[in-house]
Amino acid sequence: MTSPAAELTGITKRFGAVVACDNVDLELRRGEIHGILGENGAGKSTLMKVLIGLVLPDAGVIRIDGEPRRISDPAEAAELGIGMVHQHFSLVEPLTVWENVILGERVRLDATAAKRRVGEISERYGLAIDPDERVSDLSAGLRQRLEIIKCLRRDPAIVILDEPTSVLTPGESEQLFEVLRRVVERENKAVALVSHKLDEVLAATDRITIMRAGAVVDRRGTGDADAPGLARAMVGRPVSLRSEGAALGHIETFEDDPAVTEPAVEAAVEATEPQPVLSIRGAVARGRDGRTLLDGLSLEVRPGEIVGVAGVEGNGQAALSDLLSSLLRLESGTVRVRDTEPPPGRPGAMAAAGVAVVPADRHESGCVLDMTVEENLTLVSPPRARTGRALLDRAARALLDRAGRQAHAERLIEQFGIQTPAADAPMWSLSGGNQQRVVLARELSGDPVVLVAAQPTRGLDVGAIEYVSERLREAAASGVGVLLISTELEEVLDLADRIVVIFRGRIIGEMDRVNLDVERLGLLMSGAQEEAS
Amino acid sequence: MVGDFFVAVGDVLSSETTYSSGWRLAVALAFVAVGEWIAERAGTINISVEGSMLAGAFASAMGYDASGSVAVGLLIGAAAGLLVGAVQAHFSHNLTANQFVVGLTLNILVLGLASFLNSSLKPETATAHVFEVPGLVEIPLLGPALFGQPWPLYLLYPLIPLAWWLVYRTRWGLEVRAVGENPQAADVSSIDVNARRRQAIYVAGVTSGLGGGYLLLGQVGWFEDAIVGGQGFIAIAAVIFGGWTLRGAMLGCLLFGSANSFRLSLPAVGHPLNSELLSSLPFVLTICVMALFAHRTREPQSLARPFIRGLR
Repeated sequence: MTSPAAELTGITKRFGAVVACDNVDLELRRGEIHGILGENGAGKSTLMKVLIGLVLPDAGVIRIDGEPRRISDPAEAAELGIGMVHQHFSLVEPLTVWENVILGERVRLDATAAKRRVGEISERYGLAIDPDERVSDLSAGLRQRLEIIKCLRRDPAIVILDEPTSVLTPGESEQLFEVLRRVVERENKAVALVSHKLDEVLAATDRITIMRAGAVVDRRGTGDADAPGLARAMVGRPVSLRSEGAALGHIETFEDDPAVTEPAVEAAVEATEPQPVLSIRGAVARGRDGRTLLDGLSLEVRPGEIVGVAGVEGNGQAALSDLLSSLLRLESGTVRVRDTEPPPGRPGAMAAAGVAVVPADRHESGCVLDMTVEENLTLVSPPRARTGRALLDRAARALLDRAGRQAHAERLIEQFGIQTPAADAPMWSLSGGNQQRVVLARELSGDPVVLVAAQPTRGLDVGAIEYVSERLREAAASGVGVLLISTELEEVLDLADRIVVIFRGRIIGEMDRVNLDVERLGLLMSGAQEEAS
Repeated sequence: MVGDFFVAVGDVLSSETTYSSGWRLAVALAFVAVGEWIAERAGTINISVEGSMLAGAFASAMGYDASGSVAVGLLIGAAAGLLVGAVQAHFSHNLTANQFVVGLTLNILVLGLASFLNSSLKPETATAHVFEVPGLVEIPLLGPALFGQPWPLYLLYPLIPLAWWLVYRTRWGLEVRAVGENPQAADVSSIDVNARRRQAIYVAGVTSGLGGGYLLLGQVGWFEDAIVGGQGFIAIAAVIFGGWTLRGAMLGCLLFGSANSFRLSLPAVGHPLNSELLSSLPFVLTICVMALFAHRTREPQSLARPFIRGLR
């Protein structure tokens, strides 16, 4: 019997107090796609970074074709025949396709030869691409294709893919897996597919290793695995059906479960109230570089409903969230919040009108990591003072009411079950889930009319996902209009009463939860126009 | 009064000396801008070029004094510029100190050092001889400006296409552009990001040192503390003005150089316009251009951001 293409034994890596990988063993064999499954933060990516030489392990041995090796940077890994397709695209946008492909090689620069090379690889694997195109002009699907070409150009024996489908439409993902299958069967390569999506791992792999909290918890052949079993192994404890469904990518779940459908119907009934709390009409916005961010976007949110904005990343979700955070000015179009028309782009205008935002990037704009939990909870400024008395009031509050602020923070900590050693513990000492609770608590404590939640569960574990989902439902039940912007289709399907699809800065389709058609939704997300609209 | 001004402008525009001096001043800037352009494409706003230029000017004076040769003087000037660049590169891209703080400190340090050494050593210098390119110097108005100058000026002419070739046609240049745009992507493609950035700064140091040497031996003829007087900064402005393209940066140098020569020649033809006011012209121009084109130009995405592996 030949030795496996790669064999990792006893890999351990600590970052400070956090153990990212704890004595992990893994074996990648030729001619197999090996799924590495786990939640965000389970240690999958760190393990792969060890194999590719981006992270040096504290302990453990790597054997390539039976030989023990020390891999301390990506160039060494490449020499050993290990290639990686990265989770965040590792492409340089202003450069052309062929320039990106040969980046990092050592031979003389030769444009003609490089383009021929790109042509050869794209033909061999059925990955059509124009070598002269600039990467900034490519769609997400084509960029992914380029990443794969870049990886395959050195003819690696081992190919690692880290969450390759996170920015792809379902159709593009399927294509990707077809290519992978071809690579494995024809050329006897070993492929490692890192993913947190169960359906994907079940559909595309031969063997599965499941990780949780830095350790391997289970290994099995894909033939012997089923979704619920994998989900339990991945999560490590029983979870409610809804969240399990979300983690599973099982979109039918809520249709089977009357307990979930019921509140939705109630909400739908409430939603017949005519007056929307948020209505955006024909919003057009351009970026600093002249790129169109929003292209006539219109949508409405009524009190008590959750409207899900579905779509592939990079189609205007960030701009929409910025618009409602007063960060984006419009060229044309209006935003109405209940009876007011806050001027888009004026700092604080949306917040003053009653729009609360849970931003997609917690660390960038959701909270201040170096400030305390209490400070983060009370960071939101009170409404603009219009009268002298209000001004005095506000001054008094700002100057004197430290105790009141503290009490307010303590109350929120209890009410939202924020696990923190103390109110004055620094924000960075909290786990991701608890940081998100702080953001939610702060945003909801201002009694908003509209709550915008952008990627509210990104990077959270199942328990925290469950909690956040529950809070969003509660907010809607109390009459707040909730706008959920998410690229996780499962999350949108799980929470939203009404789903709108965003594509290239506009809403190109809408459907009620009752008339859900997942296939049509997928088509819309990839930009297929509807005849009706 | 206004009529007088236009008459004076007319005199200036029809005089060969205007073009000659404008070209000379533009060339001093262009030596610096060629290197600074490469450093910025790699992701560093290398403000130590001002210091490199001054070090180059003083060192070339010392070199000339010791050897009696302009060529040796220029060589030593370039080496001094490189030394300043190497310190900048080491501090900002090895020790990851803030590049602006390092650059600012270096500029002050070089100014003090050059001033002290000059007053104690007092190097004897002269200007390089004028070399007229036969035939080409006969071109009316522009001929003497482009082809009838002290010979160190001609070093710039091959330098510009060389820089273009280096950045757009070599692997090194491709990697320089990549680390300036997306260092993380370059890193996973097994490129040594900080090494490329350091090397780009070395290039800027050499060309700035050469620029300083040219300023001293090709133009002014003796060392004084104010010989550089912010021209390094104007060259940085020219790179920004040019939208990080080589052509644009060179155009910027020409514009700023001409503006400067206007300042010098208007009083010469007898017009009493305030020359201090005119000397602010390049900066006013830069601000106007940035206001007009800021949204259209595309700077390297990682300009002035340090690269530390693992941080995004």
